[in-house]
Amino acid sequence: MTIQNTPIGFDAYTPTWCPGCGDWAIRIGIKTAFQQLGLDPSSIFMTFDIGCSGNMNDFFNAYAMHTLHGRAIATAVGMKIANHVLTTIVIGGDGGLYGEGGNHFLHACRGNHDITVIVHDNMVYGLTKGQVAPTASKGYKSTSTPSGIVEQSVNPLALAITQGATFVAQGFAGDTPGLIEIIKAAVKHKGFSLVNVLQPCVTFNKVNTYHYYLQHTYKLEKNYDPTNFQSALGKSVEILQEKFPLGIIYQTQKKAFHEELPQLSEPLILKKRFTDIDLLLNEFI
Amino acid sequence: MTTGTVISKIATRSGYHIFSYFEYPSLIRGGNNTVEVVFSDDEITASKWKVNMLVCLNKETFDLHKHRLSKDSIVMYDPDSFEPDIECKKVPLPLKKIKEKQEIHQQMLNTVSVGASIAMLGGDVGIFEDILKHQFARKGQEVVDFNIKLARVGFDQIKADNVTPLNILSKKSETPEKLVLTGNDAFSIGTAGADCKYYAAYPMTPSSSILMSLAAWQDKTQMVVRHSEDEIAVINSALGASFAGARSSVGTSGGGFALMVEALSYAGVAEIPIVVFLGMRPGPATGMPTWTEQGDLLFATQAGHGEFPKIVLAPGDVSEMIELTLTAFDLADFYQLPVIVVSDKFLCESYKDVLKEVIEKKLKNYTPNRGKIVAKTNQSPYLRYKYEEDGVSEMLIPGQKGAFYQANSYEHIEDTHTTEESEPRKKQVEKRNKKWDTYLNKLKVKSEKLEVGGNVFFEGPKIYGDPNADTVFVSWGGTKGIVLEAQKMLASEHNKNIAFLHFTHMYPFDEELVKSHFNDHTRYILVENNSHAQFGQLLRMQTGIDIKEKLLKYDGRPFFPEEIVKYIIGEKGEPMEQKQQTAVNNLENNKNTKPNLPDQKEREEEMLKKLSARMMSA
Repeated sequence: MTIQNTPIGFDAYTPTWCPGCGDWAIRIGIKTAFQQLGLDPSSIFMTFDIGCSGNMNDFFNAYAMHTLHGRAIATAVGMKIANHVLTTIVIGGDGGLYGEGGNHFLHACRGNHDITVIVHDNMVYGLTKGQVAPTASKGYKSTSTPSGIVEQSVNPLALAITQGATFVAQGFAGDTPGLIEIIKAAVKHKGFSLVNVLQPCVTFNKVNTYHYYLQHTYKLEKNYDPTNFQSALGKSVEILQEKFPLGIIYQTQKKAFHEELPQLSEPLILKKRFTDIDLLLNEFI
Repeated sequence: MTTGTVISKIATRSGYHIFSYFEYPSLIRGGNNTVEVVFSDDEITASKWKVNMLVCLNKETFDLHKHRLSKDSIVMYDPDSFEPDIECKKVPLPLKKIKEKQEIHQQMLNTVSVGASIAMLGGDVGIFEDILKHQFARKGQEVVDFNIKLARVGFDQIKADNVTPLNILSKKSETPEKLVLTGNDAFSIGTAGADCKYYAAYPMTPSSSILMSLAAWQDKTQMVVRHSEDEIAVINSALGASFAGARSSVGTSGGGFALMVEALSYAGVAEIPIVVFLGMRPGPATGMPTWTEQGDLLFATQAGHGEFPKIVLAPGDVSEMIELTLTAFDLADFYQLPVIVVSDKFLCESYKDVLKEVIEKKLKNYTPNRGKIVAKTNQSPYLRYKYEEDGVSEMLIPGQKGAFYQANSYEHIEDTHTTEESEPRKKQVEKRNKKWDTYLNKLKVKSEKLEVGGNVFFEGPKIYGDPNADTVFVSWGGTKGIVLEAQKMLASEHNKNIAFLHFTHMYPFDEELVKSHFNDHTRYILVENNSHAQFGQLLRMQTGIDIKEKLLKYDGRPFFPEEIVKYIIGEKGEPMEQKQQTAVNNLENNKNTKPNLPDQKEREEEMLKKLSARMMSA
């Protein structure tokens, strides 16, 4: 591995992903979006889950936590509460964020925590060599499901929309310019933002290839209204017909979690120490 | 406020010391709930076996406690419900009739009974009225007046019946301000006082009241208190907040702690400070949720996959809980590692009085020691995991321009990037391990950081009583008060001089320091509220000291001091523990205790007699 000598840029080690992996394009998309938003590594919190996508921890500079598998969202929630001035980004895969950490995903939507969750959705577990992921279609054959997976796929978009997420979008690793715009909008959005990125795994997923996505994705029309809850739900369930809309599917304005707490009028870490201990002791007399 | 708290506060405001213990089943309402309040002129640290006055709201209470009554005991009961069938001092209190006459809910009979109890004890009903005024102030004058009226009904009933009051709760002339605290209250106060800014928890008995107290205080303390979706989110969000620079803590019991264990390991490798409160209850699994046990000590000390340093503390009473909670936050920051504060239901939820002045002083004199956690670094490039002599690297609070780093769950090099290379792995392992050496004060590291706040090093056990006594109780954590009471009773009633060695810094140990407290010509008796003698195992593992004689109890109940006394003096007759169906056990035959003790033969005979008596009745 080589270290690129740009101390305050986003580039760190050269990625180790497979040639052609969608992660390359997603990383470029994230980096470009951040640069265009005027962010730098010292102004962002990032959490990285475990997996191929989470390995971006060494390829991307930020105040970051390379968390436990499945816990990148839960960890980011704590970071944002402690210092909400910093933009907070979660990077992870479909296995970590919809499987192992599915509970945190659901509850972070409910809380409308002001974090941007970028999910690398390739429908397989790449780092452990190709087992099925929760987003794979029913019947998908993998090393852990040789006869095909019994469960139907998770629907992250519908789940997020119905559980309180205020920004839900879908991108495609084969469309970097589109992805950059989506990520910029997601980061700018105040509240919980989901960016589900469809991403071929060139090594293990022989079904959901670049070619497959080129046939099954489409960009939302210019006049599509993402503020309409019903039509957003409608778009989110098109996956049942193997149709994948790209763009901002749903966006609404609600107070973010930290805006609901009066004690977070200023960042928690800057709060003065509580010393008026008598206020507490008197109730015990 | 519960009845027990009210009675405890009436006693402390009248100038007495108290100790109160609650027993209740895992039900929302109903079941037999009892509160045992002991008050005393002198400090008191445990419940008493003998019940001097039993207030029965129903017959079940009488049946459950009658074996602890004597002919001198006062029994307050409702003659419309039952009549005590043993010899005792009967004081009728017509609760059913009062309920009908006043048209009140069953629950309100608590207030009536407290009023009656105050009359019986010769206490000042005015103090009770003050408490009621304060408690119901927000609900309006009408509610206040109504409650005061009910208190009066009970009080006047006893007065009218011309029962001779006991005059043991009459108000003393000097009543210094005292706090009535549970272990959980003490942890909550310590946490607020330690500048903890983020507390997360998922409700679990017996630690839930910490979450509720801290949540209720948010307006005052400005802490963020969060009830997260599960214990995994609880600790991972706290690690996120801690990484971001906020002192953070979580609280739970055994089952929830089990869910947190993976994250504990993350805190270990990524060197993130975190204070974990573990209130133990009997397991395994859901176990007996509202009862007590010291069953998770080995679990706490060994929790987490992989090798990383952690520190485990176990306060013995509410004062130590405040002290060690402050210490826990300093240790977590100073060494950048997880610190586990272990308590048990007995300590979590029983009340003890402490002088307000003492606690106030302790908190006001406290200054947080954050060690090498800084808001600004002069390093360039910044090395988060830099090798240091004491094992602790500078930890930068995120935000400084031009700097960045990651808290990496993978093994890493000094600048935080992932590695699988042999040499850096070895060096990082050694760096982390050095934290323990520093904590055990083996390195004699000099640092100006040591001057701030309290002690940041290992502390050996405290010895209570005569250090030269030929018999020594050895225990840890929440059993402290019980053993102290037993020790007092043995000295005053049986002329037995027994010392007590009590541990609060549980893990890791300074082997030499701990060994220096033991010798081979003293009888040591391990007292633990569990069945595996877990502290005995830990002691043996870390020092080679093997205490053969063990007094263990694992039926979910705390020890009574009297049980420990009877174990020592081997009183004739049916052992008390069989009556109440507990499981006090001396697992080892006395033959295994240390050799060349002068009175060993006598004790052996005594023990064998006891054992055979037990076997006969079994």
